[in-house]
Amino acid sequence: MDKKRTALTCVLIVALFLLPLVVTGPYQLHVLIMMGIAVILSSSLRLIFNLGQLSLGHGGMMTFGAYTTALLVTKLGVSTWLALGAGAAAGALLALLVGYPFVRLKGIYFSLVTVFLAEVIRLIAEQWQSLTGGTMGISNIPGPDTIAIHGLFSIAFASKVSFYYLTLILVLFTLIALYALERSRIGLTWFSVRESDFLAESIGVDTASSKVLGFCIGSFFAGLAGGLYCQYNSIITPSAFGFAYAMYVLIYMIVGGSQKFSGPIIGAIILSLLPEVARPLKEYQPYIFGGVVILVMFFLPRGLVTLPRRLMTLLGGR
Amino acid sequence: MLEIRGLTKYFGGLSAVSRLDFAVREGEAVGLIGPNGAGKTTTFNLITGFLRATNGTVLFEGKNLVGQTPHTIATMGIVRTFQATSIFPGFTVLQNLVAACYLKPRIGFWEAALHTVSSRRKEKDVLDQAHRILEFVGMGQMKDLPAPSLPHGHKRILGIAIALAAHPKLLLLDEPLSGMNAGEVVVAMELIKKIWSAGTTILLIEHNMKAAMGFCQRIVVLNFGQKIAEGSPKEVRDNRDVIQAYLGVGDHAA
Repeated sequence: MDKKRTALTCVLIVALFLLPLVVTGPYQLHVLIMMGIAVILSSSLRLIFNLGQLSLGHGGMMTFGAYTTALLVTKLGVSTWLALGAGAAAGALLALLVGYPFVRLKGIYFSLVTVFLAEVIRLIAEQWQSLTGGTMGISNIPGPDTIAIHGLFSIAFASKVSFYYLTLILVLFTLIALYALERSRIGLTWFSVRESDFLAESIGVDTASSKVLGFCIGSFFAGLAGGLYCQYNSIITPSAFGFAYAMYVLIYMIVGGSQKFSGPIIGAIILSLLPEVARPLKEYQPYIFGGVVILVMFFLPRGLVTLPRRLMTLLGGR
Repeated sequence: MLEIRGLTKYFGGLSAVSRLDFAVREGEAVGLIGPNGAGKTTTFNLITGFLRATNGTVLFEGKNLVGQTPHTIATMGIVRTFQATSIFPGFTVLQNLVAACYLKPRIGFWEAALHTVSSRRKEKDVLDQAHRILEFVGMGQMKDLPAPSLPHGHKRILGIAIALAAHPKLLLLDEPLSGMNAGEVVVAMELIKKIWSAGTTILLIEHNMKAAMGFCQRIVVLNFGQKIAEGSPKEVRDNRDVIQAYLGVGDHAA
């Protein structure tokens, strides 16, 4: 079973690398890139969620990472690749700064302060016009520098296809890192903190630091997604990833299934494809999205990942 | 080993524990008894850092514990169990123990994230240790069951096993026998005696007087947050104040 799953994953990854041979339309590639960014966000949100802390400020962390990358490149002339990494590091650093006071709050109180943090980030980006360009945001952000080895090859990040590959590689990097962490003993400690934080604390687990570490790592990937987005889109505005976007990421994670590693991935893929499939219905699009989300919540409370098993038991029962 | 001096805790204007003094020597089994609301569990919370004392000191091997975080105190060697059954509900019995063995051997962040050879060896040690503790508490055969499916008595014992995995020098048991039937009480008391004989000092809160009196060498009796008696089980049983605290003062009491 495990070998089968590994093989399937490898086939999927190869298929994703070959996809631009079939899908060539710039619009389709754009949808795929945004889907990849959503996968990074929903999977990293799950890490924070699995520590018993629901962050609704994930969009804010993404915005913070995006502005960091954009400002470093446009104002200070830092190399584009370094700035991409710095955007991710900025997310982690901000999470570290606010983490210890934040994780003292549990449940809905933690969620609320993360909303406020995201709002503060948005307001600063809007008001500090001399630095951030106010509501107009920062434009003309250059894409990543060309990777070239003299005489051998060079990859320029100008086309959609090149950004598709960059996104794919960053998504794989994110997922491999998150998966390795979850399977390690750190992941086990995180799960025990979620299951019962006072019991974990009573046997010597530093639960506050565990929660802050998870918050930092989750926010690192949100910052990375932000940096990637602003380099791809060449513009970032204060409200590009506001509260509404954070809610979408939450919906991807919950509807996909937060208990399984694949849950947020599947949720992000299916739910970001859904509006595209429903595009011919024009103004009825949001109804379709909402309807599907409600149906999944009622009939598959553990998320879309449980659909194959549910179908099998239904069919097997007859 | 443990020395409590002038320990006081106010909740608002109400004193839950007031100027409490007592000590636990290494290798002892001490009982902490008293009517409901006497401040026994509060005392446990104060010792283990889950509550911060308003006044007084808790010395463990010469170091003051007041102001320390619970996980630091656990690392120093004081581990407590909880009155309410506390296990990790999403795990199997064995996973509960593996998670609990987190303390030793300690695995660093990068070691674990990168799956180094040393971390893999340590992980095997953890697994062996988890198995050993399960055998010790007599739950070896249940290792693959989901923890919430255990009968009540075994859930309580799993709670003690989790505490053992943290290598306590001093084990604080908060009503380990509550809710158990007669048969389960016998098994649990056997286990507690076994833990004590293996060298762990024990401080026990228990309402089952027969069990507490039969096991502990010394008993400390609390009432309304104050110590009203201390001594051998026999001395405590014959103490006037203790009898009054438990039975009340009748109109025609002598």
